[in-house]
Formats: sequence, C-alpha cells, structure tokens
Amino acid sequence: MRVFVRILSLLLGLALAAAGALLALEVGWTWARPVDGPLLVPWPAWRDRLAGLTWQDTEVRVTAWVVAGAGLVLLLVALTARRKDVELLDPTPGVTVRTSPRSLARIVGTRVRAEENVSGASVTATARKVRVRASSGLESEEQLRPRLQEVVRTTLEDLPLTRRPRVSVVVDSPRDRS
Amino acid sequence: MKSPSVAALARSYRAERVVTALIGLLALLAGATALVVGQGWLGSFRAVRPVLDPIALDTLGNWQTHARVGAIVLGVLLLVLGLLLAARTLRPERHPDLALDRSVGSGLVVTASAIAEAIAVDAEQVDGVSRARATVVGDPEEPALRLSVWLHEGTRLKDVWRELDGSVLTRARESLGVDTLPTAVRVELGTAERQRVR
Repeated sequence: MRVFVRILSLLLGLALAAAGALLALEVGWTWARPVDGPLLVPWPAWRDRLAGLTWQDTEVRVTAWVVAGAGLVLLLVALTARRKDVELLDPTPGVTVRTSPRSLARIVGTRVRAEENVSGASVTATARKVRVRASSGLESEEQLRPRLQEVVRTTLEDLPLTRRPRVSVVVDSPRDRS
Repeated sequence: MKSPSVAALARSYRAERVVTALIGLLALLAGATALVVGQGWLGSFRAVRPVLDPIALDTLGNWQTHARVGAIVLGVLLLVLGLLLAARTLRPERHPDLALDRSVGSGLVVTASAIAEAIAVDAEQVDGVSRARATVVGDPEEPALRLSVWLHEGTRLKDVWRELDGSVLTRARESLGVDTLPTAVRVELGTAERQRVR
C-alpha cells in the first residue's frame, strides 16, 4: 500500500500541475485574444454542454457517484498506508528497534507446529493481536487450546515487546465434530 | 518531533499520504454535494437548474477582471504545488556521506556506502545473525543508521542486542569518531538458513 500511495501522489501531483497550467493558459489566452477561440481545450463546447444539463440528469449523477467513489478509494488508500511495525523495547537510548508482524507470526507458527499432535497451523499477527488457527487430528479443542495458549504466551514473553499482544487460539479438530 | 532513531526506521511518506487523503476527501465531498443537490434536498427548484448556473455566470461576468486574475493565480498555484509534490515523490532518499575531517586541504569523507558496508559485514559476524544490511540516512549534519538484521530461528534476541550494541555499534561510533549514532534496527525473526540451489 505504501508504494501505491507514492505512485498515486506522483500521478495526482502531475495531474494538478497539468490542470493548473491549462487553466492559467486558457484564461490568459482568451483574455489576450478574445476572438481567436480556445487554445488547447475546447471549453466553449464544454460550457454549452454543462449549461444544458441539470443536477438531476443521469450523466451528472453518475459522474458525481464516480467522483465520490474515487475520493473514497483515495482516502482509504492514504489512511491504510501506515507502517505496521511491531515495537520492541529500546536496548539503549538512541537505538530504536522494530520487527515486522510477519516475523512475529513466523516464530509463533514455528513453535505451535513443533507441539505434539498439531498437524498444521496458520498465524496472523499484528502489534495488538496474535491469532492462531491450529488443526489437530488427535486432540480436541478443549485439550489442545490451553496448551497452545501457554506456548504462544511464553514465546511472546521471550521477546522484549513494548506491549503484549492479545492471544487467540482456535483449534480445528475432527474430534469436535462427532 | 520524532527522535532521529525513529525517523531513521523508514522513509517518511507523511506528505504523500496527507495530500492523497486531502484530495480524496475533497473529491468525496464534491461528489456527495452534487448528489445531494441532484436529490433536491437543498431545494427542489435548485435540482432542476442547469449545472452551469446562469446566476453564477452573471456574477463572474460582472467581476470579469477579478475572475480572470483569480483563475490565472489559481492555475499557477496548482502548477507549482503539483510539480513540488511530484518532485518530492520522485526524490530518492538521502544517504549522506560522513565528513570526518572538514579542514581544507586535508578533508576526509567516508562515503555512505562504505560505512554501510563495513557495519553490515561487522553485524553479520554476530552469533545468530544470518544476514545484515545497513544504510546511512538522515541529514548530513545528523546522520543516522538503519540496520536490518535477519536472525536465525531460535536466536535469543537479548543476546543479539547485547552484542550488537556492545561491539558493532560501539565500534562504528569509535571508528567514525562520533559520540552518538542514532540507530534504527529492523529485526526479522526466525528466518531459516537460506538454501542456495546451484
């Protein structure tokens, strides 16, 4: 998303510059030579078209929806382009340490998969929450869940995290479906 | 004000994000307003008036010189702002060289890539580190270090810390002759040994 915002802001900057240049150029040209007609943009035709449309026309409404939708997309892209690093404690003043949510998920996943009777696990992690979804053919959720929760908790405690993420463990087991 | 070590974590995209969000908000509001007018919620008579309102055109005609000057100023302003934004987006991140000796005739400058290379090689010697990459970032007056380290699985983070701070960073500070070197460390945990296929 961060690269996307950079590309978008480049395109927006170029579009703004082009629009501004055309606006100044057309107004100046028409001011200097009122009889010569437009320079680059056929704005008299656009003016007549706009004068013939009312706010209720379908064209106007569709355009308004498209503009509003594009604006919403831009807003969402800009708001979600945050850095999602996980904060670790500073070892000394002047040194800042961060890790990626992916690393957190990776080490939690390795520990969980190394447990007995776990046949597979998927982990998603953010700085606030670690979600584990494990599957097991031999143990039911009731048996396995407390143990996995403990494993995840000790794994996270070994790391110098500034805030402990909440842990949620779900176990998928055929023994629960009987 | 962010501390230099926090600022060194990654290139800042604040300006790009703010501008994109502002333009998005403006477009959203403009579209929503046009829809509201079209629905007739601002008066059913207004909804059936032309988009290019004759009253507005009359007003512009009465103030023709002002409108023209205003339009030209707006256009030039947009041109400058747009070009500034594009230039800012395209500008590469700065990697300042470090001047150890500024005296004329016997100046000594260490290039950013040389520092980065030396520190990365040094960091890779630390037990548990499989790969390291260093970059010098920030102002030439106040350079900072961005250090990315990839750790083997099962490495204790605190041991790596002690060694990174105690030997690698101390050595870097000493050899560069600076008292403080703001450092941002990005850690990737639990990376397996890379296996090269030959």
